Amino acid sequence: MSTVLEQIEQQIAKLSTKSVKKNTGTIRAIADGVAKIDGLSDVMYNEMVQFPGGAIGIALNLEEDEVGCVILGDVAGLKEGDEVQTTGRLLSVPVGKALLGRVVDALGQPVDGKGPIDSKEFYPVEKIAPGIIVRKSVSQPLFTGITAIDSMIPIGRGQRELIIGDRGTGKTTIAIDTIINQARINRIGLASGDKNFRPVYSIYVAIGQKNSNIVRTMTALEAAGALEYTIIVAAPAADNPANQYLAPYSGAAMGEWFMENGMDALIVYDDLSKHAVAYRQISLILKRPSGREAFPGDVFYLHSRLLERAARLDGKGSLTALPIIETLAGDLSAYIPTNVISITDGQIFLETDLFNQGIRPAVSVGLSVSRVGSSAQIKATKQVAGKLKGELAQFRELAAFAQFGADLDAKTKAQLDRGGRIVELFKQPQLNPIPIELQATFLWAMQKNYFDDIDVKKIVGASAKLREFFTTRKQPLLDKIRTKAAIDAELDAELKTACDEWKAGFKA
Amino acid sequence: MSAATKQAQTLARHLFNLSLAEGTVSAERVQGVLAYVEKTAPANAVLVLKAYHRLVAIELARRVALVEHAGSVEASVLKSIAAAMTQHYGRTITAASKANPGLIAGLRVRVGDDVYEASIAGRLQALANAS
Repeated sequence: MSTVLEQIEQQIAKLSTKSVKKNTGTIRAIADGVAKIDGLSDVMYNEMVQFPGGAIGIALNLEEDEVGCVILGDVAGLKEGDEVQTTGRLLSVPVGKALLGRVVDALGQPVDGKGPIDSKEFYPVEKIAPGIIVRKSVSQPLFTGITAIDSMIPIGRGQRELIIGDRGTGKTTIAIDTIINQARINRIGLASGDKNFRPVYSIYVAIGQKNSNIVRTMTALEAAGALEYTIIVAAPAADNPANQYLAPYSGAAMGEWFMENGMDALIVYDDLSKHAVAYRQISLILKRPSGREAFPGDVFYLHSRLLERAARLDGKGSLTALPIIETLAGDLSAYIPTNVISITDGQIFLETDLFNQGIRPAVSVGLSVSRVGSSAQIKATKQVAGKLKGELAQFRELAAFAQFGADLDAKTKAQLDRGGRIVELFKQPQLNPIPIELQATFLWAMQKNYFDDIDVKKIVGASAKLREFFTTRKQPLLDKIRTKAAIDAELDAELKTACDEWKAGFKA
Repeated sequence: MSAATKQAQTLARHLFNLSLAEGTVSAERVQGVLAYVEKTAPANAVLVLKAYHRLVAIELARRVALVEHAGSVEASVLKSIAAAMTQHYGRTITAASKANPGLIAGLRVRVGDDVYEASIAGRLQALANAS
């Protein structure tokens, strides 16, 4: 018996002499969420640093004598002389499907009061973007449910499409509509039992926004049944700039998990202007040299390394990015907008004038572009909307010219008339994405001149009635268009019959 | 950082480099440096000396294994710690002991920025951080 006791005592002795090595430093100065630390000789760039009281920091400036750390969390209890220690870990966030339907902060911790998140996997917040070899070109569409975008500026899975415009032009609305549309498609696809169906999960990253706006977005997503397919990463205006700086990278890490595991994800960064401002604040406090508009020299890299993480991977999934940029007085040539425009694969430009004229979504056809083009469209959309962008651009030019009140020839008048109708047809209420098959039907009807004898002011109502007619009475036809994804002779005939039927019963 | 502070730090670093003999801080050279500062009275002498003091203190801390202990520690233990640290870091390290009842039991050895924690207080802290 005594040998057993000896064994236990030896074990205790072993344990009690086991030492843990830590690399430590002391806070020399602390201000504005940034600490200057003496020591930490072993710290790595971007490594997590443990502060007393549970706060963590990230080592961003490794200098000869000191380390500059941004602090995530409560800084109230920290003071000069406090001991900090390295952790040997890079900042990581929880990832996986357990996060769906939840609102988390920049560190992936829940802030929605729905209890802890049961996530077993963690991904590093900063990661090198996928290289050339593993990528695949963008060819699968990602439907936004917004006719003007799906028909003229198509977005593909793995694309980076910038949404840009002044404040109050409906940038967030487009992003939210897209998320709602993904949820709608997911529900239909998953219910169909199609093994080839690939759902799109969404991540909405709110940077520097008012908490009330985040709640509004969450409520809208919940009401539309989209929250269960969405992760909201919130770094509101009241959060410290370090959290606002990190939130998009955390969101990207969560999106990468879906991509790496053969799934498709959509990430919305709302918005990167505020992200750049948060980073500028951190950089200035860290005493990094400032450049144009006081932004640090690496502000381009800040966004390029983030957006490059959106990709379509060969044999795996994809991550589509919809960054948002807010312009001032429509100035596209400002520093951050030009940077992000050059990084992304196209932009959707929203104009205040159009918005105020009641053209919503206020997409400027001339300045919006998708570099992926029609390769991210289904054949049905190509068939009905192939020439729409050109027609609408011509209309805008002619409309500007016609303002002078000059006499117009019949052809010009016809073009103006048609353009006016297309503009009306593209008007769409918010939070009401339209399925792609339904878009195809009314664009087909427009191409076949079914709207020509309807008063321009009544086009919106007529198109709504046509949609209602198809959804309530021609669902099998819509299903056929969705599954075939093209309009062949048979569908063409069926569409003609259906539209004739609608037109016969239509009263403006 | 103001220009004066930057200048003071540069001078302090220069003086610190002059204080090293064969890679270690030499008491003789430090005295020489102090005499030089007193004689020439450079601009912001206080700032220079504070920065110099900091650099010397960091260097000296790298050469000493400060053994904090709750109970008593025998001289042989200190000796073996010094030998182990000298071998580990590849530089001569001497051991110094300091009583710290706050550790409850066990030892804490500090060499420069590195801390080797083998105390009950450290384990309790680790538990508190983990929960």
